[in-house]
Amino acid sequence: MFAMAFFFDPWTPLVFWVGVLVLQVFFSQIDWKKWLLFMLPFFVTAFGYFWTTLVFAEDQSGPVIWTIGDLQITETQLNHALSLSFRVLAFSSLSLLFALTTNPVTFILSLMQQLKLSPKIAYGVMVGYQFLPVLKDEFVQIGQAHRLRGAGGEKNALQRLLGVRRILIPMLAGAVRKAERAAFAMEARGFTGEQRSSYFQVISIGKVDVVLIALFLFVLVLSCTNGLWLS
Amino acid sequence: MHDVIQFEKVSFRYPDEEKWILENLSFSVQRGERVVITGPSGCGKTTLLYLSNRLYPDNCDGILSGSVKLFGRDSLSFIAGEINHRVATVFQDPDSQFCMQTVEEELAFTLENLHVKRDEMEKRICEVLELTDLTEFRHAIIQKLSGGQKQRIATACALIMEPEVLLLDEPLSHLDPYNAKKYVEWLDELQQKRAMTIVAIEHRLDLWGDFFERSISLNKNEVAPNLEKRRCSIKDDASLVVNKVQTKSFLQETTFVLNQGEIAVLAGPNGSGKSTLLKALCQLIPSNGAVQPKLLGYVPQSPEFLFLTKNVRDEVGFGGGNNVEDMMTRLQLLPIADSHPFAVSHGQKRRVAIAAMLTDGRQVILMDEPTSGQDAQALSELFQLIDERACEGTTFLIVTHDMEFAYCIADSILLMNDGLLTGKFEANEVWVDEQLLLDHHLLPPKGMMLREECFA
Amino acid sequence: MLKSWKLKEIVLMSLFAVVFGIVYLLFLHVGNIWAGFIGPIAYEWIFGIWFIVSIICMYIIRKPGAAVVSETIAAAIEVLLGNAVGPRLILSGLVQGLGAEAVFAATRYKRFDLWVLILAGVGSSVFSFVYGYFLGGFAVYSTGYVALMLGIRILSGALLAGVGGKAVADGLLATGSLRGYAISRSKKGEARA
Ligand SMILES: Nc1ncnc2c1ncn2[C@@H]1O[C@H](COP(=O)(O)OP(=O)(O)OP(=O)(O)O)[C@@H](O)[C@H]1O
Ligand SMILES: Nc1ncnc2c1ncn2[C@@H]1O[C@H](COP(=O)(O)OP(=O)(O)OP(=O)(O)O)[C@@H](O)[C@H]1O
Ligand SMILES: [Mg+2]
Ligand SMILES: [Mg+2]
Repeated sequence: MFAMAFFFDPWTPLVFWVGVLVLQVFFSQIDWKKWLLFMLPFFVTAFGYFWTTLVFAEDQSGPVIWTIGDLQITETQLNHALSLSFRVLAFSSLSLLFALTTNPVTFILSLMQQLKLSPKIAYGVMVGYQFLPVLKDEFVQIGQAHRLRGAGGEKNALQRLLGVRRILIPMLAGAVRKAERAAFAMEARGFTGEQRSSYFQVISIGKVDVVLIALFLFVLVLSCTNGLWLS
Repeated sequence: MHDVIQFEKVSFRYPDEEKWILENLSFSVQRGERVVITGPSGCGKTTLLYLSNRLYPDNCDGILSGSVKLFGRDSLSFIAGEINHRVATVFQDPDSQFCMQTVEEELAFTLENLHVKRDEMEKRICEVLELTDLTEFRHAIIQKLSGGQKQRIATACALIMEPEVLLLDEPLSHLDPYNAKKYVEWLDELQQKRAMTIVAIEHRLDLWGDFFERSISLNKNEVAPNLEKRRCSIKDDASLVVNKVQTKSFLQETTFVLNQGEIAVLAGPNGSGKSTLLKALCQLIPSNGAVQPKLLGYVPQSPEFLFLTKNVRDEVGFGGGNNVEDMMTRLQLLPIADSHPFAVSHGQKRRVAIAAMLTDGRQVILMDEPTSGQDAQALSELFQLIDERACEGTTFLIVTHDMEFAYCIADSILLMNDGLLTGKFEANEVWVDEQLLLDHHLLPPKGMMLREECFA
Repeated sequence: MLKSWKLKEIVLMSLFAVVFGIVYLLFLHVGNIWAGFIGPIAYEWIFGIWFIVSIICMYIIRKPGAAVVSETIAAAIEVLLGNAVGPRLILSGLVQGLGAEAVFAATRYKRFDLWVLILAGVGSSVFSFVYGYFLGGFAVYSTGYVALMLGIRILSGALLAGVGGKAVADGLLATGSLRGYAISRSKKGEARA
């Protein structure tokens, strides 16, 4: 019961969220407009959690502090609701901070160099990730090819939506072919998947990274273990 | 043991296909040899190359009988990628042989695989870039380079391994004549210095001079008639009007007109913007200016771009043409009519794209390097098809690096350099203007020189 | 385990992870906005979508680990792409993948028919629900509500991930581009038998 009260008190996640924001101000030059845009869906989610918890919560003990029509809202309920919402905000801000400050390729290279992740996986994932912009072009190109060949030309929105479905399979088929060729290219360059003895681009870890990683792990552990404490 | 590659009674077929691609093939290549593999398009040359670097049969579930030995050891006894430390490959398709983003990363990736020490990497990267004259591309993003540039980069990536065996699959097919000539020259020099074994696949041996010591022919090449210069079929009405077309970053303002029945060749150095211009004309990339008519036929440099259906026959007939069978017979596509367009040889893919566009009945057709990777037979058939169509009034704009083909087919020539259309010329004027040719990395065609010798 | 994996299978897996990472992210936003109106139960209806990559990859590659690894990578890509629930998403991916993997492991990676794929979808649903129960603080909801959530999630896992995953992979097989992967090999075997 004590643990529950501790974990569903709204202050811990709130303090945590503010902490993340402070970190963000100090350690990175983040474009706040962009940040707000990305955060918008999470604000909506947080709000969703807030009111559903108020309405559907099981634990209805504690003094009633609000009455809206038939609905009575107790202090415990309000605390739970606030706690869950702040938790959503805290976690999403943290991952956003991570996402906006980390270059994925450097991140994978670092996983391989520092944590000895298998190069087969690391390079496999990296090569796949680098196809991201190519896949976007591919989407456009399949449409263009249809147009060039005299197919398509759907007018209304519904037809266009069905058209998108017609694009998904060719796109995946294209992905399969690209994967195969990239793998052939890697193999032809002598890639065997064994650990490499030296790197051209050495990734070194700075102070900021250490702080971020430590924080990251802390949150990860926290978010995994609090469930256990609850039971 | 001096055999580096040894095939003994090798037969190979792809899964799901009944036909054996290679049958009972035996040959060997010795250390330091320069061998060329020839044979008509689709006879299995590329497949053979894939067997020689151990990508097949491991990666395609193909059925192999007989033995392939590399450096005296059975090829299957190597683990994936192991033999590729000693055998470097330049693949046929410039678009699909890279795995990293920039040229430097690609080169470094190769060196890391070979366990080269870090302080040595920088030196080797600089060296190979200088050797291949590609230093300016060091930080370029590979996907944004032109076809010919990619092909040169691919060679640099192979050479940086300092391999014992170099496998080349039609390495000149997208290079402009000047670069092709230089390529052969420095490959020659390098082979003497490093005593590499070179095995190349090639249709057009004339570009290589006497580079090769020996040739292995996979299939009897049918004798194809020599191309003859065609008669001009220009009519008076304009059919392609290009007015001030321009892209934001590279292509400068372009204006020209082609008439009905006119065949124009667009030529220029690698990376001069030929493909970019064609794409802009088809509105595949954003551009300003006006093009008449709106709907153009287009055969892209990478033919796969066009493919939408599940077999070659549907692909050719997609536009609803009525002479599909006839077209497929002439371009030798009947044997693969039921294959998937993505699972045929490179030359075949290109012919599928060409056939599809020719049956579509468009009035103006743009072709981006339709000649690359075609054998003599296919080239001659292509020539005749274009000729017939032009006589019926279709207008063609053809990008090619093949000077003989250009000489025989062109009514007029558009030259490009550095994103700028230098101008539209009468074909005959261009071949005699040495400075103009030199500026655009072109060489006078052989047919032309022979004729001049006769006159002299 | 890595030894038996071909490079092209790994790259395929990660490319699919990228494609579906994008799809997942789109659905996350759809779910987020929807959830803002009808509450967390909105996610349950579409939850199956988030298991689909593990089922597609396993169905195509058929090697131990294909489900867990692909799902984890997809989750990681989703995080790397810029805006996800949180770093713990990687962990949820792992758990979801394990759910599907457990079902495939139970058949010793021998059966890949529709029922097994549906079960795999259900496996992911159950694993992810148990995990979510502790993590998401479902404990505060009434039991009936929680049971409803579980029921919808299982249905969604079975249909969207199991049936949907099979449909996508079969569509892909028909394009002929999956030559050289286990799925084509088995089709040939069935045809011969
Ligand atoms: N992935 C594949 N699956 C099935 N069949 C294939 C595949 N690739 C090629 N083929 C078929 O195998 C034959 C040989 O193809 P290959 O690519 O080796 O020809 P090639 O001699 O290199 O031709 P080109 O000069 O046109 O490049 C062709 O008939 C082709 O249709
Ligand atoms: N997708 C792209 N994005 C950005 N730049 C590109 C792209 N494709 C080509 N370029 C650049 O535009 C220039 C012209 O390329 P283009 O492909 O038109 O050359 P090209 O004349 O067709 O050469 P080639 O004979 O080698 O095919 C090159 O400098 C190239 O680097
Ligand atoms: Mg070939
Ligand atoms: Mg080009």
